[in-house]
Amino acid sequence: MHKAEQLLLNNRRAVVNDRVFWLLAWTAGAIGLLLPLSIIGYLLFHGFQVLSWSFISEVPRGYPLGVSGGILPAIQGSLAVTGLGLAVAFPAALASAIYLSEYAQSQRFVAVMRFFTECLAAIPAILFGVFGYAFLVVQFGFGISVLSGGLTLAMLMYPVILVGSYSAFNAVERPLKESALSLGVSRAYVIRRTLLPKALPGIIAATVLAAGHAVGSAAPVLFTASVVQTRSSPSLDSPVMTLPTHLYNLVSEAVSFEHAYGTAFVLIACLLFANSCAMMLRHRLRK
Amino acid sequence: MSTQVASHPARRLGGLTLDPLVWMLTLLALVIGVSTFFLIVVYVLWQAAGVFGAVSLSEFLLFEPWVPLAEPPRLGILHAWVSTVYVTGIALLVAVPLGIVMALFIAEIAPTAVRNVLQPCLEVLAGIPSVVYGFFGYVTLVVWFEHIFDMTTGVSILAAGLIVAVMVMPFIVSTATEALDAVPRSFRETGMSLGVTRFYVIRRIILPRALPGIFAGIVLAFARGIGETLAALMLAGNSLAVPKELLDRGQTLTGLIATELGEAALGTEKFAALFAASAVLMLLILLINGGILLIKNRLLRHAQG
Repeated sequence: MHKAEQLLLNNRRAVVNDRVFWLLAWTAGAIGLLLPLSIIGYLLFHGFQVLSWSFISEVPRGYPLGVSGGILPAIQGSLAVTGLGLAVAFPAALASAIYLSEYAQSQRFVAVMRFFTECLAAIPAILFGVFGYAFLVVQFGFGISVLSGGLTLAMLMYPVILVGSYSAFNAVERPLKESALSLGVSRAYVIRRTLLPKALPGIIAATVLAAGHAVGSAAPVLFTASVVQTRSSPSLDSPVMTLPTHLYNLVSEAVSFEHAYGTAFVLIACLLFANSCAMMLRHRLRK
Repeated sequence: MSTQVASHPARRLGGLTLDPLVWMLTLLALVIGVSTFFLIVVYVLWQAAGVFGAVSLSEFLLFEPWVPLAEPPRLGILHAWVSTVYVTGIALLVAVPLGIVMALFIAEIAPTAVRNVLQPCLEVLAGIPSVVYGFFGYVTLVVWFEHIFDMTTGVSILAAGLIVAVMVMPFIVSTATEALDAVPRSFRETGMSLGVTRFYVIRRIILPRALPGIFAGIVLAFARGIGETLAALMLAGNSLAVPKELLDRGQTLTGLIATELGEAALGTEKFAALFAASAVLMLLILLINGGILLIKNRLLRHAQG
Protein backbone atom coordinates (compact mmCIF):
# COMPACT_ATOMS: atom_id res chain seq x y z
CA MET A 1 0.00 0.00 0.00
CA HIS A 2 2.73 2.37 1.03
CA LYS A 3 4.73 1.47 -2.05
CA ALA A 4 1.79 2.05 -4.35
CA GLU A 5 1.21 5.50 -2.83
CA GLN A 6 4.85 6.34 -3.38
CA LEU A 7 4.60 5.25 -6.99
CA LEU A 8 1.53 7.33 -7.54
CA LEU A 9 3.26 10.34 -6.00
CA ASN A 10 6.33 9.84 -8.20
CA ASN A 11 4.10 9.47 -11.18
CA ARG A 12 2.27 12.70 -10.34
CA ARG A 13 5.55 14.52 -9.82
CA ALA A 14 6.80 13.29 -13.19
CA VAL A 15 3.64 14.53 -14.87
CA VAL A 16 3.97 17.92 -13.15
CA ASN A 17 7.61 18.14 -14.23
CA ASP A 18 6.57 17.33 -17.75
CA ARG A 19 3.95 20.08 -17.79
CA VAL A 20 6.38 22.62 -16.32
CA PHE A 21 8.97 21.70 -18.92
CA TRP A 22 6.38 21.93 -21.68
CA LEU A 23 5.44 25.43 -20.49
CA LEU A 24 9.08 26.52 -20.23
CA ALA A 25 9.85 25.22 -23.70
CA TRP A 26 6.92 27.05 -25.27
CA THR A 27 7.93 30.21 -23.41
CA ALA A 28 11.46 29.91 -24.78
CA GLY A 29 10.03 29.33 -28.23
CA ALA A 30 7.90 32.45 -27.90
CA ILE A 31 10.97 34.44 -26.83
CA GLY A 32 12.86 33.08 -29.81
CA LEU A 33 10.11 34.33 -32.08
CA LEU A 34 9.37 37.65 -30.39
CA LEU A 35 12.96 38.76 -29.82
CA PRO A 36 13.99 38.89 -33.50
CA LEU A 37 10.63 40.28 -34.57
CA SER A 38 10.67 43.05 -31.97
CA ILE A 39 14.29 44.04 -32.60
CA ILE A 40 13.83 44.13 -36.38
CA GLY A 41 10.40 45.72 -36.05
CA TYR A 42 11.68 48.40 -33.68
CA LEU A 43 14.57 49.36 -35.93
CA LEU A 44 12.58 49.23 -39.15
CA PHE A 45 9.69 51.21 -37.65
CA HIS A 46 11.93 54.05 -36.46
CA GLY A 47 14.12 53.90 -39.53
CA PHE A 48 11.23 54.02 -41.95
CA GLN A 49 10.14 57.40 -40.59
CA VAL A 50 13.54 58.89 -41.40
CA LEU A 51 13.79 57.30 -44.81
CA SER A 52 13.28 59.45 -47.87
CA TRP A 53 14.72 59.56 -51.35
CA SER A 54 17.03 62.41 -50.38
CA PHE A 55 18.33 60.39 -47.44
CA ILE A 56 19.62 57.78 -49.87
CA SER A 57 20.68 60.09 -52.68
CA GLU A 58 22.36 63.02 -50.92
CA VAL A 59 25.67 63.63 -49.18
CA PRO A 60 25.73 64.31 -45.42
CA ARG A 61 25.28 67.96 -44.49
CA GLY A 62 25.01 70.17 -41.44
CA TYR A 63 27.19 70.66 -38.41
CA PRO A 64 28.26 68.34 -36.94
CA LEU A 65 28.25 66.54 -40.25
CA GLY A 66 25.45 64.03 -40.65
CA VAL A 67 22.73 66.03 -38.86
CA SER A 68 20.99 66.58 -42.18
CA GLY A 69 21.45 65.47 -45.77
CA GLY A 70 21.83 61.80 -46.64
CA ILE A 71 24.13 58.80 -46.61
CA LEU A 72 24.94 58.32 -50.29
CA PRO A 73 28.76 58.26 -49.82
CA ALA A 74 28.38 55.59 -47.12
CA ILE A 75 26.31 53.40 -49.45
CA GLN A 76 28.81 53.86 -52.27
CA GLY A 77 31.74 53.22 -49.96
CA SER A 78 30.26 50.04 -48.55
CA LEU A 79 29.54 48.77 -52.06
CA ALA A 80 33.05 49.63 -53.22
CA VAL A 81 34.85 47.97 -50.30
CA THR A 82 32.66 44.87 -50.30
CA GLY A 83 32.73 44.67 -54.09
CA LEU A 84 36.51 44.73 -54.17
CA GLY A 85 36.64 42.20 -51.35
CA LEU A 86 34.31 39.88 -53.27
CA ALA A 87 36.27 40.32 -56.50
CA VAL A 88 39.34 39.00 -54.68
CA ALA A 89 37.79 36.47 -52.32
CA PHE A 90 35.21 34.83 -54.60
CA PRO A 91 37.51 33.50 -57.34
CA ALA A 92 40.15 32.51 -54.80
CA ALA A 93 37.67 30.70 -52.57
CA LEU A 94 35.89 29.01 -55.48
CA ALA A 95 39.18 27.81 -56.95
CA SER A 96 40.31 26.53 -53.56
CA ALA A 97 37.04 24.66 -53.10
CA ILE A 98 37.41 23.11 -56.55
CA TYR A 99 40.90 21.94 -55.72
CA LEU A 100 39.83 20.46 -52.38
CA SER A 101 36.79 18.64 -53.72
CA GLU A 102 38.03 17.57 -57.17
CA TYR A 103 41.80 17.50 -57.44
CA ALA A 104 43.15 16.80 -53.97
CA GLN A 105 44.31 13.18 -53.70
CA SER A 106 44.96 12.82 -50.01
CA GLN A 107 42.10 13.00 -47.55
CA ARG A 108 44.57 14.05 -44.89
CA PHE A 109 45.56 17.10 -46.94
CA VAL A 110 41.90 18.06 -47.36
CA ALA A 111 41.29 17.68 -43.63
CA VAL A 112 44.32 19.80 -42.73
CA MET A 113 43.37 22.54 -45.18
CA ARG A 114 39.79 22.58 -43.92
CA PHE A 115 41.06 22.80 -40.37
CA PHE A 116 43.11 25.92 -41.11
CA THR A 117 40.30 27.43 -43.15
CA GLU A 118 37.94 27.03 -40.24
CA CYS A 119 40.55 28.54 -37.92
CA LEU A 120 40.76 31.52 -40.27
CA ALA A 121 36.98 31.81 -40.13
CA ALA A 122 37.12 31.81 -36.34
CA ILE A 123 39.38 34.85 -36.13
CA PRO A 124 37.18 37.76 -35.01
CA ALA A 125 36.56 40.71 -37.32
CA ILE A 126 38.53 43.16 -35.19
CA LEU A 127 41.72 41.14 -35.65
CA PHE A 128 41.39 41.39 -39.42
CA GLY A 129 41.11 45.13 -38.87
CA VAL A 130 44.23 45.21 -36.69
CA PHE A 131 46.19 43.12 -39.18
CA GLY A 132 44.91 45.07 -42.19
CA TYR A 133 45.80 48.36 -40.54
CA ALA A 134 49.36 47.43 -39.59
CA PHE A 135 50.18 45.28 -42.61
CA LEU A 136 48.31 46.87 -45.52
CA VAL A 137 47.71 50.47 -44.44
CA VAL A 138 51.02 51.16 -42.75
CA GLN A 139 53.67 48.64 -43.86
CA PHE A 140 52.55 48.23 -47.46
CA GLY A 141 51.73 51.92 -47.63
CA PHE A 142 48.29 51.40 -49.14
CA GLY A 143 46.97 54.01 -46.72
CA ILE A 144 43.42 54.13 -45.41
CA SER A 145 41.72 53.28 -48.68
CA VAL A 146 39.26 51.13 -50.57
CA LEU A 147 42.19 48.88 -51.51
CA SER A 148 43.22 48.19 -47.90
CA GLY A 149 39.63 47.78 -46.74
CA GLY A 150 38.69 45.56 -49.69
CA LEU A 151 41.64 43.24 -49.16
CA THR A 152 40.88 43.06 -45.43
CA LEU A 153 37.28 42.12 -46.16
CA ALA A 154 38.50 39.59 -48.73
CA MET A 155 40.39 37.76 -45.97
CA LEU A 156 37.21 37.82 -43.88
CA MET A 157 35.04 36.42 -46.69
CA TYR A 158 37.46 33.84 -48.13
CA PRO A 159 36.98 31.07 -45.56
CA VAL A 160 33.18 31.45 -45.49
CA ILE A 161 32.85 31.15 -49.27
CA LEU A 162 35.40 28.33 -49.37
CA VAL A 163 33.65 26.16 -46.78
CA GLY A 164 30.21 26.83 -48.31
CA SER A 165 31.33 26.06 -51.86
CA TYR A 166 33.21 22.96 -50.75
CA SER A 167 30.09 21.50 -49.19
CA ALA A 168 28.08 22.47 -52.28
CA PHE A 169 30.54 20.54 -54.47
CA ASN A 170 30.51 17.59 -52.12
CA ALA A 171 26.72 17.51 -52.20
CA VAL A 172 26.74 16.78 -55.94
CA GLU A 173 25.92 13.12 -56.37
CA ARG A 174 28.95 10.95 -56.85
CA PRO A 175 27.47 8.81 -59.68
CA LEU A 176 26.85 11.97 -61.71
CA LYS A 177 30.48 12.98 -61.30
CA GLU A 178 31.74 9.50 -62.11
CA SER A 179 29.61 8.98 -65.17
CA ALA A 180 30.66 12.37 -66.50
CA LEU A 181 34.32 11.48 -65.97
CA SER A 182 33.87 8.06 -67.52
CA LEU A 183 32.97 9.71 -70.82
CA GLY A 184 36.65 10.45 -71.12
CA VAL A 185 36.54 14.23 -70.90
CA SER A 186 38.87 16.17 -68.71
CA ARG A 187 38.21 17.02 -65.06
CA ALA A 188 38.17 20.71 -65.93
CA TYR A 189 35.36 20.05 -68.42
CA VAL A 190 33.35 18.04 -65.89
CA ILE A 191 33.80 20.78 -63.31
CA ARG A 192 32.61 23.47 -65.71
CA ARG A 193 29.71 21.59 -67.25
CA THR A 194 28.46 19.33 -64.46
CA LEU A 195 29.68 20.39 -61.07
CA LEU A 196 29.45 24.16 -61.26
CA PRO A 197 25.85 24.28 -62.50
CA LYS A 198 24.80 21.72 -59.89
CA ALA A 199 26.60 23.43 -57.03
CA LEU A 200 25.80 26.99 -58.07
CA PRO A 201 22.89 27.66 -55.68
CA GLY A 202 25.02 26.57 -52.73
CA ILE A 203 27.97 28.64 -53.89
CA ILE A 204 25.83 31.72 -54.35
CA ALA A 205 24.18 31.23 -50.96
CA ALA A 206 27.58 31.05 -49.25
CA THR A 207 28.81 34.09 -51.16
CA VAL A 208 25.76 36.18 -50.29
CA LEU A 209 26.13 35.16 -46.66
CA ALA A 210 29.79 36.18 -46.64
CA ALA A 211 29.12 39.46 -48.43
CA GLY A 212 26.29 40.31 -46.05
CA HIS A 213 28.57 39.63 -43.12
CA ALA A 214 31.25 41.83 -44.67
CA VAL A 215 28.91 44.74 -45.50
CA GLY A 216 27.70 44.85 -41.92
CA SER A 217 30.92 44.56 -40.02
CA ALA A 218 32.52 47.80 -38.97
CA ALA A 219 35.56 46.43 -37.16
CA PRO A 220 37.61 45.41 -40.23
CA VAL A 221 37.09 48.68 -42.12
CA LEU A 222 37.27 51.02 -39.13
CA PHE A 223 41.05 51.47 -39.51
CA THR A 224 41.62 50.25 -43.03
CA ALA A 225 39.11 52.06 -45.25
CA SER A 226 36.78 54.40 -43.48
CA VAL A 227 36.81 58.04 -42.51
CA VAL A 228 34.11 60.16 -40.88
CA GLN A 229 33.43 62.14 -44.00
CA THR A 230 34.16 62.17 -47.72
CA ARG A 231 32.44 63.94 -50.54
CA SER A 232 34.19 62.39 -53.51
CA SER A 233 32.99 59.15 -55.04
CA PRO A 234 35.11 56.15 -54.08
CA SER A 235 38.35 55.32 -55.87
CA LEU A 236 40.84 52.57 -55.15
CA ASP A 237 43.36 54.69 -53.26
CA SER A 238 41.02 57.01 -51.39
CA PRO A 239 39.29 56.50 -48.05
CA VAL A 240 35.52 56.13 -48.01
CA MET A 241 32.57 56.27 -45.69
CA THR A 242 30.87 52.94 -45.04
CA LEU A 243 27.41 52.20 -43.65
CA PRO A 244 28.47 50.45 -40.43
CA THR A 245 31.20 52.93 -39.52
CA HIS A 246 28.88 55.83 -40.36
CA LEU A 247 26.31 54.36 -37.99
CA TYR A 248 29.00 53.95 -35.34
CA ASN A 249 30.13 57.56 -35.72
CA LEU A 250 26.58 58.91 -35.61
CA VAL A 251 25.94 57.07 -32.33
CA SER A 252 29.29 57.36 -30.58
CA GLU A 253 29.60 61.09 -31.27
CA ALA A 254 25.87 61.52 -30.59
CA VAL A 255 25.51 63.35 -33.92
CA SER A 256 22.00 62.33 -34.89
CA PHE A 257 19.98 59.39 -33.66
CA GLU A 258 17.42 60.00 -36.37
CA HIS A 259 20.01 59.48 -39.05
CA ALA A 260 21.39 56.52 -37.12
CA TYR A 261 17.93 54.90 -37.37
CA GLY A 262 17.89 55.64 -41.08
CA THR A 263 21.36 54.18 -41.62
CA ALA A 264 20.50 51.09 -39.60
CA PHE A 265 17.34 50.72 -41.69
CA VAL A 266 19.26 50.76 -44.97
CA LEU A 267 21.82 48.29 -43.62
CA ILE A 268 19.22 45.88 -42.22
CA ALA A 269 16.95 46.10 -45.27
CA CYS A 270 19.84 45.17 -47.56
CA LEU A 271 20.92 42.29 -45.31
CA LEU A 272 17.38 40.96 -44.88
CA PHE A 273 16.91 40.96 -48.62
CA ALA A 274 20.25 39.28 -49.28
CA ASN A 275 19.85 36.72 -46.52
CA SER A 276 16.35 35.73 -47.54
CA CYS A 277 17.61 35.20 -51.08
CA ALA A 278 20.41 33.01 -49.72
CA MET A 279 17.95 31.14 -47.53
CA MET A 280 15.66 30.47 -50.47
CA LEU A 281 18.57 29.22 -52.55
CA ARG A 282 19.65 26.88 -49.79
CA HIS A 283 16.08 25.67 -49.46
CA ARG A 284 15.96 24.94 -53.17
CA LEU A 285 19.27 23.15 -52.90
CA ARG A 286 17.98 20.86 -50.18
CA LYS A 287 15.10 19.67 -52.35
CA MET B 1 34.32 7.27 -84.58
CA SER B 2 37.67 7.92 -83.02
CA THR B 3 38.14 11.08 -85.02
CA GLN B 4 34.81 12.26 -83.69
CA VAL B 5 35.98 11.80 -80.11
CA ALA B 6 39.28 13.44 -80.85
CA SER B 7 37.60 16.47 -82.33
CA HIS B 8 35.35 16.91 -79.33
CA PRO B 9 36.17 20.42 -78.12
CA ALA B 10 36.54 19.40 -74.50
CA ARG B 11 38.99 16.68 -75.38
CA ARG B 12 41.03 18.83 -77.66
CA LEU B 13 41.23 21.69 -75.19
CA GLY B 14 40.75 20.16 -71.80
CA GLY B 15 42.46 16.83 -72.03
CA LEU B 16 45.78 18.29 -73.00
CA THR B 17 46.15 21.83 -71.75
CA LEU B 18 43.29 22.87 -69.51
CA ASP B 19 43.49 20.23 -66.80
CA PRO B 20 47.03 20.83 -65.53
CA LEU B 21 46.41 24.55 -65.76
CA VAL B 22 43.22 24.39 -63.66
CA TRP B 23 44.95 22.04 -61.25
CA MET B 24 47.81 24.48 -60.79
CA LEU B 25 45.68 27.62 -60.51
CA THR B 26 43.26 26.13 -58.02
CA LEU B 27 46.10 24.77 -55.91
CA LEU B 28 47.77 28.19 -56.01
CA ALA B 29 44.56 29.89 -54.84
CA LEU B 30 44.24 27.42 -52.00
CA VAL B 31 47.83 27.82 -50.87
CA ILE B 32 47.67 31.62 -50.97
CA GLY B 33 44.28 31.72 -49.28
CA VAL B 34 45.15 29.39 -46.45
CA SER B 35 48.53 30.99 -45.93
CA THR B 36 46.83 34.29 -45.02
CA PHE B 37 45.90 32.49 -41.81
CA PHE B 38 49.55 31.88 -40.97
CA LEU B 39 50.48 35.36 -42.13
CA ILE B 40 48.01 36.92 -39.70
CA VAL B 41 49.00 34.70 -36.77
CA VAL B 42 52.75 35.14 -37.26
CA TYR B 43 52.49 38.86 -37.95
CA VAL B 44 50.35 39.56 -34.88
CA LEU B 45 52.68 37.53 -32.64
CA TRP B 46 55.73 39.21 -34.13
CA GLN B 47 54.35 42.70 -33.55
CA ALA B 48 53.18 41.72 -30.08
CA ALA B 49 56.63 40.55 -29.04
CA GLY B 50 57.81 44.17 -29.04
CA VAL B 51 55.91 44.96 -25.87
CA PHE B 52 57.92 42.64 -23.68
CA GLY B 53 60.92 44.96 -23.71
CA ALA B 54 58.76 47.43 -21.78
CA VAL B 55 56.77 45.19 -19.44
CA SER B 56 56.90 41.59 -18.35
CA LEU B 57 54.08 39.21 -19.20
CA SER B 58 52.71 39.19 -15.66
CA GLU B 59 52.80 43.00 -15.43
CA PHE B 60 51.07 43.22 -18.79
CA LEU B 61 48.32 40.79 -17.86
CA LEU B 62 47.88 41.40 -14.14
CA PHE B 63 49.48 44.40 -12.50
CA GLU B 64 49.89 47.45 -14.67
CA PRO B 65 47.12 49.97 -15.44
CA TRP B 66 46.64 51.20 -19.02
CA VAL B 67 48.31 54.63 -19.13
CA PRO B 68 50.12 54.70 -22.47
CA LEU B 69 50.85 58.43 -22.24
CA ALA B 70 52.71 58.20 -18.90
CA GLU B 71 56.47 58.50 -18.95
CA PRO B 72 57.53 55.71 -19.16
CA PRO B 73 54.24 54.33 -20.58
CA ARG B 74 52.38 51.92 -18.33
CA LEU B 75 50.91 49.15 -20.40
CA GLY B 76 48.62 46.67 -18.70
CA ILE B 77 45.39 45.08 -19.88
CA LEU B 78 43.96 43.83 -16.60
CA HIS B 79 40.90 46.12 -16.86
CA ALA B 80 40.28 44.95 -20.42
CA TRP B 81 40.32 41.21 -19.92
CA VAL B 82 38.34 41.48 -16.71
CA SER B 83 35.72 43.46 -18.66
CA THR B 84 35.78 40.86 -21.43
CA VAL B 85 35.27 38.04 -18.93
CA TYR B 86 32.42 39.94 -17.25
CA VAL B 87 30.64 40.79 -20.51
CA THR B 88 31.01 37.31 -21.97
CA GLY B 89 30.13 35.72 -18.63
CA ILE B 90 26.88 37.66 -18.40
CA ALA B 91 26.14 36.86 -22.02
CA LEU B 92 26.57 33.11 -21.50
CA LEU B 93 24.71 33.13 -18.19
CA VAL B 94 21.68 34.46 -20.04
CA ALA B 95 22.10 32.83 -23.44
CA VAL B 96 23.04 29.27 -22.42
CA PRO B 97 19.93 28.29 -20.40
CA LEU B 98 17.62 30.17 -22.73
CA GLY B 99 19.36 28.78 -25.79
CA ILE B 100 19.28 25.18 -24.61
CA VAL B 101 15.59 25.29 -23.70
CA MET B 102 14.89 26.95 -27.04
CA ALA B 103 16.81 24.19 -28.82
CA LEU B 104 14.86 21.54 -26.86
CA PHE B 105 11.69 23.28 -27.94
CA ILE B 106 12.73 23.32 -31.58
CA ALA B 107 14.06 19.77 -31.69
CA GLU B 108 11.63 17.94 -29.42
CA ILE B 109 8.40 19.83 -28.95
CA ALA B 110 7.62 22.38 -31.63
CA PRO B 111 5.28 21.33 -34.43
CA THR B 112 7.05 21.39 -37.79
CA ALA B 113 5.24 24.55 -38.86
CA VAL B 114 6.41 26.43 -35.76
CA ARG B 115 9.93 25.12 -36.21
CA ASN B 116 9.95 26.28 -39.82
CA VAL B 117 9.12 29.81 -38.71
CA LEU B 118 11.30 29.93 -35.62
CA GLN B 119 14.55 28.81 -37.22
CA PRO B 120 14.61 31.46 -39.98
CA CYS B 121 13.73 34.08 -37.35
CA LEU B 122 16.79 33.09 -35.34
CA GLU B 123 18.88 33.12 -38.49
CA VAL B 124 17.78 36.69 -39.06
CA LEU B 125 18.87 37.50 -35.51
CA ALA B 126 22.28 36.02 -36.29
CA GLY B 127 22.55 38.12 -39.45
CA ILE B 128 22.18 41.50 -37.77
CA PRO B 129 25.56 43.29 -37.72
CA SER B 130 27.31 43.97 -34.44
CA VAL B 131 27.18 47.74 -34.89
CA VAL B 132 23.40 47.63 -35.30
CA TYR B 133 23.14 45.61 -32.09
CA GLY B 134 25.27 48.22 -30.39
CA PHE B 135 22.98 50.96 -31.64
CA PHE B 136 19.87 49.02 -30.64
CA GLY B 137 21.26 48.48 -27.14
CA TYR B 138 22.14 52.14 -26.93
CA VAL B 139 18.61 53.36 -27.67
CA THR B 140 16.81 50.70 -25.62
CA LEU B 141 18.74 49.01 -22.79
CA VAL B 142 20.94 52.00 -22.00
CA VAL B 143 17.94 54.34 -21.80
CA TRP B 144 15.99 51.87 -19.64
CA PHE B 145 18.95 51.46 -17.28
CA GLU B 146 19.12 55.22 -16.82
CA HIS B 147 15.47 55.20 -15.74
CA ILE B 148 15.43 52.00 -13.71
CA PHE B 149 18.75 52.33 -11.88
CA ASP B 150 18.81 56.12 -11.86
CA MET B 151 22.22 56.20 -13.57
CA THR B 152 23.65 59.29 -15.25
CA THR B 153 24.65 57.12 -18.16
CA GLY B 154 23.31 53.64 -18.74
CA VAL B 155 26.30 52.26 -20.59
CA SER B 156 27.65 49.42 -18.48
CA ILE B 157 29.07 45.92 -18.41
CA LEU B 158 25.53 44.61 -17.89
CA ALA B 159 24.15 46.40 -20.98
CA ALA B 160 27.00 45.06 -23.10
CA GLY B 161 26.58 41.57 -21.63
CA LEU B 162 22.86 41.41 -22.33
CA ILE B 163 23.26 42.52 -25.94
CA VAL B 164 26.11 40.07 -26.52
CA ALA B 165 23.77 37.42 -25.05
CA VAL B 166 21.25 38.16 -27.80
CA MET B 167 24.08 37.96 -30.33
CA VAL B 168 25.46 34.56 -29.28
CA MET B 169 22.10 32.96 -28.50
CA PRO B 170 21.16 32.00 -32.10
CA PHE B 171 24.51 30.26 -32.39
CA ILE B 172 23.97 28.27 -29.19
CA VAL B 173 20.45 27.36 -30.34
CA SER B 174 21.56 26.17 -33.78
CA THR B 175 24.46 24.04 -32.51
CA ALA B 176 22.34 22.56 -29.73
CA THR B 177 19.46 21.85 -32.12
CA GLU B 178 21.89 20.12 -34.45
CA ALA B 179 23.21 17.99 -31.58
CA LEU B 180 19.66 17.06 -30.50
CA ASP B 181 18.60 16.25 -34.05
CA ALA B 182 21.55 13.88 -34.34
CA VAL B 183 20.15 11.62 -31.61
CA PRO B 184 18.46 8.77 -33.47
CA ARG B 185 14.69 8.79 -33.64
CA SER B 186 14.43 5.27 -32.25
CA PHE B 187 15.75 6.45 -28.86
CA ARG B 188 12.73 8.70 -28.48
CA GLU B 189 10.29 6.06 -29.63
CA THR B 190 11.73 3.38 -27.39
CA GLY B 191 11.78 5.76 -24.44
CA MET B 192 8.23 6.94 -24.92
CA SER B 193 6.97 3.40 -25.37
CA LEU B 194 8.10 2.61 -21.81
CA GLY B 195 5.35 4.87 -20.57
CA VAL B 196 7.51 7.60 -19.03
CA THR B 197 6.92 11.28 -19.63
CA ARG B 198 8.43 13.18 -22.52
CA PHE B 199 10.45 15.29 -20.08
CA TYR B 200 11.93 12.11 -18.60
CA VAL B 201 12.95 10.85 -22.04
CA ILE B 202 14.55 14.18 -22.88
CA ARG B 203 16.37 14.52 -19.56
CA ARG B 204 17.58 10.94 -19.16
CA ILE B 205 18.03 9.72 -22.73
CA ILE B 206 18.31 12.53 -25.26
CA LEU B 207 20.13 15.29 -23.38
CA PRO B 208 23.01 13.04 -22.23
CA ARG B 209 23.57 11.90 -25.83
CA ALA B 210 23.51 15.46 -27.15
CA LEU B 211 25.56 16.95 -24.34
CA PRO B 212 28.99 16.89 -26.07
CA GLY B 213 27.58 18.76 -29.06
CA ILE B 214 25.79 21.28 -26.87
CA PHE B 215 28.91 21.81 -24.80
CA ALA B 216 31.00 22.40 -27.94
CA GLY B 217 28.46 25.00 -29.05
CA ILE B 218 28.71 26.81 -25.72
CA VAL B 219 32.50 26.89 -25.83
CA LEU B 220 32.42 28.21 -29.40
CA ALA B 221 29.86 30.82 -28.33
CA PHE B 222 32.29 31.92 -25.62
CA ALA B 223 34.97 32.39 -28.28
CA ARG B 224 32.54 34.45 -30.35
CA GLY B 225 31.57 36.53 -27.34
CA ILE B 226 35.09 37.54 -26.45
CA GLY B 227 35.76 38.54 -30.07
CA GLU B 228 32.64 40.69 -30.25
CA THR B 229 33.72 44.25 -30.89
CA LEU B 230 31.28 46.96 -31.91
CA ALA B 231 28.46 46.16 -29.52
CA ALA B 232 30.88 45.85 -26.60
CA LEU B 233 32.63 49.03 -27.67
CA MET B 234 29.42 51.05 -27.82
CA LEU B 235 27.77 49.67 -24.68
CA ALA B 236 30.47 48.86 -22.12
CA GLY B 237 31.37 52.48 -21.53
CA ASN B 238 35.07 52.70 -22.46
CA SER B 239 36.29 53.16 -18.90
CA LEU B 240 39.87 52.31 -17.98
CA ALA B 241 38.95 51.26 -14.44
CA VAL B 242 38.71 47.58 -13.58
CA PRO B 243 34.96 46.88 -13.31
CA LYS B 244 33.73 45.50 -9.99
CA GLU B 245 29.96 45.48 -10.37
CA LEU B 246 27.53 44.73 -13.14
CA LEU B 247 26.57 48.35 -13.56
CA ASP B 248 30.18 49.61 -13.64
CA ARG B 249 31.54 50.82 -16.89
CA GLY B 250 34.37 48.89 -18.49
CA GLN B 251 36.34 48.35 -21.67
CA THR B 252 36.69 44.95 -23.27
CA LEU B 253 39.86 43.79 -24.99
CA THR B 254 38.23 44.36 -28.34
CA GLY B 255 37.00 47.77 -27.19
CA LEU B 256 40.50 48.71 -26.06
CA ILE B 257 41.98 47.73 -29.41
CA ALA B 258 39.27 49.50 -31.41
CA THR B 259 39.55 52.67 -29.34
CA GLU B 260 43.30 53.05 -29.31
CA LEU B 261 44.63 51.52 -32.51
CA GLY B 262 43.94 54.54 -34.71
CA GLU B 263 46.08 56.74 -32.49
CA ALA B 264 49.05 54.41 -32.10
CA ALA B 265 52.08 54.83 -34.34
CA LEU B 266 53.85 51.78 -35.76
CA GLY B 267 56.90 50.79 -33.73
CA THR B 268 55.82 52.42 -30.47
CA GLU B 269 55.34 50.42 -27.31
CA LYS B 270 51.65 51.29 -27.26
CA PHE B 271 51.27 49.81 -30.74
CA ALA B 272 53.04 46.66 -29.60
CA ALA B 273 50.85 46.52 -26.49
CA LEU B 274 47.69 46.67 -28.63
CA PHE B 275 49.09 43.83 -30.71
CA ALA B 276 49.82 41.90 -27.54
CA ALA B 277 46.20 42.40 -26.50
CA SER B 278 45.16 41.16 -29.97
CA ALA B 279 47.49 38.19 -29.59
CA VAL B 280 45.92 37.23 -26.26
CA LEU B 281 42.49 37.36 -27.89
CA MET B 282 43.63 35.50 -30.98
CA LEU B 283 45.43 32.69 -29.15
CA LEU B 284 42.50 32.13 -26.83
CA ILE B 285 40.01 31.96 -29.70
CA LEU B 286 42.24 29.74 -31.85
CA LEU B 287 42.91 27.42 -28.91
CA ILE B 288 39.18 27.05 -28.30
CA ASN B 289 38.22 26.62 -31.95
CA GLY B 290 41.16 24.40 -32.81
CA GLY B 291 40.51 22.23 -29.79
CA ILE B 292 36.84 21.79 -30.59
CA LEU B 293 37.58 21.07 -34.26
CA LEU B 294 40.16 18.43 -33.37
CA ILE B 295 37.87 16.76 -30.84
CA LYS B 296 35.01 16.82 -33.34
CA ASN B 297 37.17 15.25 -36.05
CA ARG B 298 38.31 12.53 -33.67
CA LEU B 299 34.74 11.87 -32.57
CA LEU B 300 33.65 11.62 -36.20
CA ARG B 301 36.48 9.23 -37.02
CA HIS B 302 35.62 7.24 -33.91
CA ALA B 303 31.98 7.03 -34.95
CA GLN B 304 32.90 5.93 -38.47
CA GLY B 305 35.59 3.45 -37.45
